[in-house]
Amino acid sequence: MKRLISTAALVAAMSVGASAAGAQVLELAVADSPAGLDPHIVTAFTSFQVVNGTVYEALTEVGPDLRIRPSLAESWEVSDDGTTYTFTLREGVSFHDGSAMTAEDVVASIERVKAEAIGSPLASRVAAVASARAVDERTVEVTLSEPSAPFLTQLASIAVVPSEFEGDAESLQQQPVGTGPFAFEEWQPNNYILLGANEDYWRDGVPKLDGVRFNIVPESATRQVGIASGQYQMLPNIDAATALQLQGRPGVALQDTLELSYTLLGMNTSKPPFDDPLVRQAVNYALDREAIVQAALFGSGVAAGPLSPALEAWARDVSEFPCYQHSPEKARELLAEAGVETPVKVTMLVLPRQDIRDIAQVAQAQLNAAGFEVELNIPELGTFVQDWRNSNFDIFASANAGSVDPDDFFYRAFRSGGSTNVFKYSDPRVDELLETGRTELDEAARKAAYDELQGILACEGPVAHVAYGQLYTATREGLTGFEIIANRSLSTLAETSTAQ
Amino acid sequence: MRRSYLLSRLTDLVVVLFGVSVITFLMIRLVPGDAVAIMLGANAEVTPERMDELRARIGLDQPIVVQYLDWIGGVLTGDLGQSLWTRRPAIEEIAGHIWPTIQLATLSLVIGAALAVPLGVLMARLRGRGWEVGLQIGSVAGLTVPSFWLGIMMILALTTLAPGVQMLGYVPFSQDPLGNLARLILPAIALALPILANLARLVRSAMLDALQQDYIRTARAKGVSERSILYKHALRNALIPFVTSVGIMTGYLLSGAIVVEQVFAIPGLGRLLLGAIAERNYPLLQATILLVTVVFVAVNFVVDLVYAWIDPRVKT
Amino acid sequence: MATAAPATARRRPPTVLLVAGGFLAATVLVALAAPLVAPYDPLAQSVMARLRGPGAAHLLGTDQFGRDLLSRILYGLRASLAISFGAVGLALLVGGTLGLISAYYRGWTERIVMRVMDVLFAFPVMLLAIGIIAVLGPGATTTAAAIAIVYTPIFARLLRGPALVVATSDYVLSARSIGASDARIIALHILPNLASVVLVQMSLLMSTAILVEASLSFLGLGTQPPTPSLGMMLSEGRNFLLLSPWSAVFSGLAILFVAFVLNFFGDVLRDQLDPRLR
Repeated sequence: MKRLISTAALVAAMSVGASAAGAQVLELAVADSPAGLDPHIVTAFTSFQVVNGTVYEALTEVGPDLRIRPSLAESWEVSDDGTTYTFTLREGVSFHDGSAMTAEDVVASIERVKAEAIGSPLASRVAAVASARAVDERTVEVTLSEPSAPFLTQLASIAVVPSEFEGDAESLQQQPVGTGPFAFEEWQPNNYILLGANEDYWRDGVPKLDGVRFNIVPESATRQVGIASGQYQMLPNIDAATALQLQGRPGVALQDTLELSYTLLGMNTSKPPFDDPLVRQAVNYALDREAIVQAALFGSGVAAGPLSPALEAWARDVSEFPCYQHSPEKARELLAEAGVETPVKVTMLVLPRQDIRDIAQVAQAQLNAAGFEVELNIPELGTFVQDWRNSNFDIFASANAGSVDPDDFFYRAFRSGGSTNVFKYSDPRVDELLETGRTELDEAARKAAYDELQGILACEGPVAHVAYGQLYTATREGLTGFEIIANRSLSTLAETSTAQ
Repeated sequence: MRRSYLLSRLTDLVVVLFGVSVITFLMIRLVPGDAVAIMLGANAEVTPERMDELRARIGLDQPIVVQYLDWIGGVLTGDLGQSLWTRRPAIEEIAGHIWPTIQLATLSLVIGAALAVPLGVLMARLRGRGWEVGLQIGSVAGLTVPSFWLGIMMILALTTLAPGVQMLGYVPFSQDPLGNLARLILPAIALALPILANLARLVRSAMLDALQQDYIRTARAKGVSERSILYKHALRNALIPFVTSVGIMTGYLLSGAIVVEQVFAIPGLGRLLLGAIAERNYPLLQATILLVTVVFVAVNFVVDLVYAWIDPRVKT
Repeated sequence: MATAAPATARRRPPTVLLVAGGFLAATVLVALAAPLVAPYDPLAQSVMARLRGPGAAHLLGTDQFGRDLLSRILYGLRASLAISFGAVGLALLVGGTLGLISAYYRGWTERIVMRVMDVLFAFPVMLLAIGIIAVLGPGATTTAAAIAIVYTPIFARLLRGPALVVATSDYVLSARSIGASDARIIALHILPNLASVVLVQMSLLMSTAILVEASLSFLGLGTQPPTPSLGMMLSEGRNFLLLSPWSAVFSGLAILFVAFVLNFFGDVLRDQLDPRLR
């Protein structure tokens, strides 16, 4: 009966629209349905943007400034050797099912991510955790097997869920239960996911909205028309092409930030022609990144080095990399030096996403002008993922998620045998630098290691980084408190309100 | 209608349904791509062992014949399997998506049929070579306009002409009848045009036939209300071709809905299907294809029977 | 009130057929001559000139890469026609053969073949096409193959019926009695009698094949870039609908046009063969 009433109230709110005082459900439009809402099992971005910071929270969180800040842990202490972390939990936090959030739940959540039976793709983020134990209701002690510089960053991705789900790999997929400002209410597949305000949220005065509805609208044009007409109030995390069309529309406002994730051409270093570093260099010279940004990203983005310029403390400027000078002649010279037969015939596997298709088409034209002969293969997503994972490609065009810590950018992808090292790349010096970057706690020494690493990866690595795009969120005018975050989290929805 | 006819049609039906189930099953299993890889996303960090474990958990490690027998056994006992990711029975997922599609298809059919009668009559009255050719051009154009393109153009027109109108998505009829119809009317029109063209042609030629019948002439000569006889006769004439084309139109509507739902963000079977393909949701995909095809087969079966009943000459 | 129509008014003058055929021939010619008549290279990108409306330099405007829309539509016309012709041709070849074989040999051959055809025919068109493409992977060739499989039972059924009549007709029986081979009988006596029916069906099905290809490409399952097919152009263009609707508008119109020309020709031809069918 209660559900019935709340639904009726929502309907009323919807049909009366924004003029209704009080009840305000923010209508968002997103392209894809999530494959599930268990934060430890489904890590794809379609799920992440729905639940991260809205339904679920972790001990730490990434702020709009991309710095790590306390969330469910109000403070922590680190032992001198960097291997023991003692977290003090915030008081008065409860889950959406009403139970209190305790140290037991935090420990269970970490154990859950590590558990074989759950099969969490996040397991490597807590691989360094040797043990976690609840000291008392509000204190958690985590012991690491070795010091880990990115540990606090990694913890931000480990959502805290009630301990009863530790061995349950299914329930949370449909019925997420977290501590966040919004509680899950209803999922109508292919229609919408509705979150309602968490009345008992631990932060005072938030959330300001009564709910958030993620409408699932597969057509880009339909989403655009929807926000132009006011039917949707937010299109979160859209690309430049979409943003460009919304620019200047009456009633629509845009926010933007530089992406952490980047578009790339990844090369298979286990077979010709890209097993030869000279050929990989040639690809870098052949690419005109500025032109790609202009053509495929509508000028909204920057040429990419190995790290996002958004990470100001870490990223080296691309002007420091010689191979970022666009020069088809130099590329041809390198190919001649490598002694490969030109044109070099390769097939490019392309992620089936509009911006990547566009980038691939421009890159294809550029590479073909510099001694390559590129054929595009754009399969559907399932096939792409499988070919990508099995290193079944010469070269691929795709996007890689970024993170706020360099370790996340590099370690998995470039270490010999790394879990996403689909390039089959192996370089002893790179491995060494990766270990230093991970275990070195001294900022300056870490920085030195990553500087050298960026130099190696930029020109001869298995990846030709293409661009960091500008990420946009379109909102109706009058929406306040929302702030776009480069990692695509919508956690600032908690502060959002529709001004009257 | 003879019993032997019914019996032989039923046998055919069973054979076809069996074939449909085999093809559906095989088709899905031959699909390249890995459900587990999809679930974890392109950037997931996961070991092959973990993936195998996950695969075993959802039964993808069994031999294919075992998987088929498992599946068809379940289907026959009313269990269409579970959606891989939501863990809900596939039948529930389908039930949750079937109404928008049925509503959309029915609305299109109603719009098409309702407009076809006056339009067909009008077409029958327009005489002369110029008109004839014009009507043929018009009706063929109606048959060949791509419904999804028409839908996009409608959305474009809507946003240009009436920027404030909110007609996208879907709300259940039970929640908001007016909002429901408002949101379905554009996609239904986009989908209805070929149906309208088709039916209007049927009505027109039935009308022309009727005009030539002797008793119509006689009736006219006797001064009986010409119009009522004409309409009655012509519409009855149009009924048989109408019934036979219901099967074709159902197929068209089911096919067209897949694309039109995508354009208008309607959470129907088409969206369920495309979503299931994208996420390699084998059990759900199978259940959906099977169910939609069975509905289609059933409609055609009924059409055959009705046709045999209307036209007793059909016996084989 | 109109008086009863004289029967002659319903006979279509052959000029309509000539005009319809002329249009079809012209469309095919223009498509074939795309490399000669297209003002630009359909793949040549020009960032500075992107998303232009119709104008002097680009008659129909440009797409998001600054590629000339008119050139792309001409090439797209060729690709779409090739796909639909390939698909329908293949369906005719396979389905027709199966239909003829069934009609000629009867018995178990016929029973098995026609049951398999019934099963394929039982699926809604798009559902089966999408399923097949999910197996074969997207692309121009696989799209054509998928459509061919979907249309195979149509030709099998279409040809079996009349072939049955012909196969039991006197002149085939007499041909057989003088020792003509099966293949010879089929090729010389049965096929020619079916040519006109087949031609009508081919042009009608090519028309729907154009639409199916467009739908599949629209869903991202059809032709892949950079090759322009009309469906793919519409699919790419619709992403820029608000900024520059030209690509979506013109490619959609082109789809409508070519589907219309094919269907109209089939329709008129059918009237000509059997005026009663109108």
